[in-house]
Formats: sequence, C-alpha cells, structure tokens
Amino acid sequence: MFSEQELERYKRQMMLFGEEGQERLKKAHIFIAGAGGLGSPVSMYLAVAGVGTLTIVDMDVVAGTNLNRQILHYDRDIGRKKTVSAEEKLRELNPDIIIHAIDVKIDESNAKKLVLRADGIVDAMDNYPTRYLLNDVAIAQQIPFFHGGIRGFYGQATTIIPGTTPCLKCIFPKAPPEEEFPVVGATAGIIGTVQSNDVIKYLTGIGDLLTNRLFIWDGMQSHAEELCVERNPSCEACGGIGKNAKTGKKI
Amino acid sequence: MTVKIRFFARFRELLGTDIMTDVEEGTMFTSLITMVAKKNPEGYAAIFDENGAFHEFVILMKNGKRIDIADAGKTAVVDGDEIAVFPPVAGG
Repeated sequence: MFSEQELERYKRQMMLFGEEGQERLKKAHIFIAGAGGLGSPVSMYLAVAGVGTLTIVDMDVVAGTNLNRQILHYDRDIGRKKTVSAEEKLRELNPDIIIHAIDVKIDESNAKKLVLRADGIVDAMDNYPTRYLLNDVAIAQQIPFFHGGIRGFYGQATTIIPGTTPCLKCIFPKAPPEEEFPVVGATAGIIGTVQSNDVIKYLTGIGDLLTNRLFIWDGMQSHAEELCVERNPSCEACGGIGKNAKTGKKI
Repeated sequence: MTVKIRFFARFRELLGTDIMTDVEEGTMFTSLITMVAKKNPEGYAAIFDENGAFHEFVILMKNGKRIDIADAGKTAVVDGDEIAVFPPVAGG
C-alpha cells in the first residue's frame, strides 16, 4: 500500500509500469558499491524511483577533487564521510525509503555479508579488484550485477545475470593498472543513469536489459554503440555454471 | 586488402579510430596493430609492453568475435575485417 504522498511522488512512472511495478520497486533492496561518481547518479535515481531499500557502501571522505562529478556531495561536505553525506541527501530526496549507508572498505572478508540478499548489486567502484570480488559474490548468490566504468569522456556499462550472461571476468579477464583517472561529471551521469535504468527495468520486469552487450559511450563524439559479448566457458569466475543465453543449454 | 581498426576509450584518444589500412595478405593481427599503434609512442605504450606483447588487459575483437591476445600473433587478418581494440574502463 502506498501513502498519498507516495502515490503523488510516483504518479508519472506508475503511468509506465503501474502500481504493481511500483510495489516491486518498494519491496526491492539494491546494493550500491561506491558513493562516488557513478554511485551518485545511481543512488539518486534509484532513491527517487522509490526502490524501497538502498545499501550504499563507501570508505572515503569527501575531497574537493570529488566535486566535479560526485553530485551527492556538496562543497559543505568536504571532510565529511561520504556515507554520512550520501545518507543525508538520499533521505532528503526520498524520505519514504530505507537507506543503509555503510562506511567500510569492501574486501574478501565482508563482501558476501554486506551484500546479503540484495536483489541487485550496482558496480559504482573505481577499481577492478573490488569489481571482481563483487562479480564473485553476484555469481555465488545469483544476484544481478550492473556494471559501469568511466574515464575521461568515455564510459561502458553492461548488465550481468549470473549463469546466463557473460560475467565481468568473461568480458574483462584482466584488470588494467590503477591510475588517477581524468573524468568529467557528465560521463558519470550518463553511465550511472544507464545502470539505474537497467535496475528499474529489471525490478519492474519491463523492457530489454543491457545483457550480452557492452554499452560504450564516446562523449567526445557524442556517440553510443554496443559490442556483443559472450560467455567464456573456461572463465575462472563463472565458467561451467548456468546455461548458454542463446541456446538455453547447460555449459 | 583493406581492414578497419577501431580503437576505444583511452586508445582512441591516443590513436584515433576507424582507421582504414591497406595490408598485405597474411598479415597477423599483432603486427597490424603494432604498425598502426607505432604512429604515437604513447598510444603504442598504452597497448603494448616493452617486449612488444599486448598488455594482458587489452581486449581484441575481430568482426565482433573475441580474439585471445595469446592467439593474436598467429591469427591473420582478411580483407574487410573490422578489428576492435579496447581497454577495460576502470574509473567510477
């Protein structure tokens, strides 16, 4: 059941997926790994869409250099924990949802426990080692994993359904070196919004997900395209589990 | 014969994209990318290590199909091939 306030808030999107779709959003729990460039638009759009429970995890403190893209955090937040800043903004955006903001570094010892039984994991990380860890948890728990990555004016995104689509390691078996990457906020906005869009479609059960495809954004050319991606049967993370997306046969 | 090379993300910044190149029959994947990348030392260094091997994180595709970098030195390109070379984008 929705309150009057909720019915008003969600009116324009319930025109798309009805009260039933909205109910699915309300019952859902999404885990967002990172409250930075991608985590900002992802969490904000999922909050205003009415995803009932959001867990957002980050270990950092807001720095001045974050503010060109991390729109959850304001000038006044410099020096505060990102989780504190994020929770405050998200609660203001939508007081009808539950926000768990957890100030911790995601690592092997806690990843599974943090994710718990979330309905989806959003990759808003800035490094591949943690992404691979979340990819492993997604596979082990059979939870959809919404990947995004940005650098400069370029970005990529794909939606991973464990056991059905390629996993992150099928697509990117080896991590690139870590770097202090250049980026404009708009790139984070575009990729984070693509991720949020897929989460909303997944939860409400409408549209076609960004599965078996790598969405690639070239902001310098204002051009988007996609590359088909396939499962690697010998993938060290997911090889041998589930079934082929096209044939439905076990691999 | 002519092939098209498409670089993505950081590689595109350094080397451009949609490069049409005339190559001799029997040209291997690795030698083709090496030849094109050498136009910009920074671009070359982004894709290859000091021994001239692909960095292990580089992703190669030929006409939409993945090519393992271990096989790129013995895989010949053919007329009309479209080759994609890209890095995993890591920032968030």
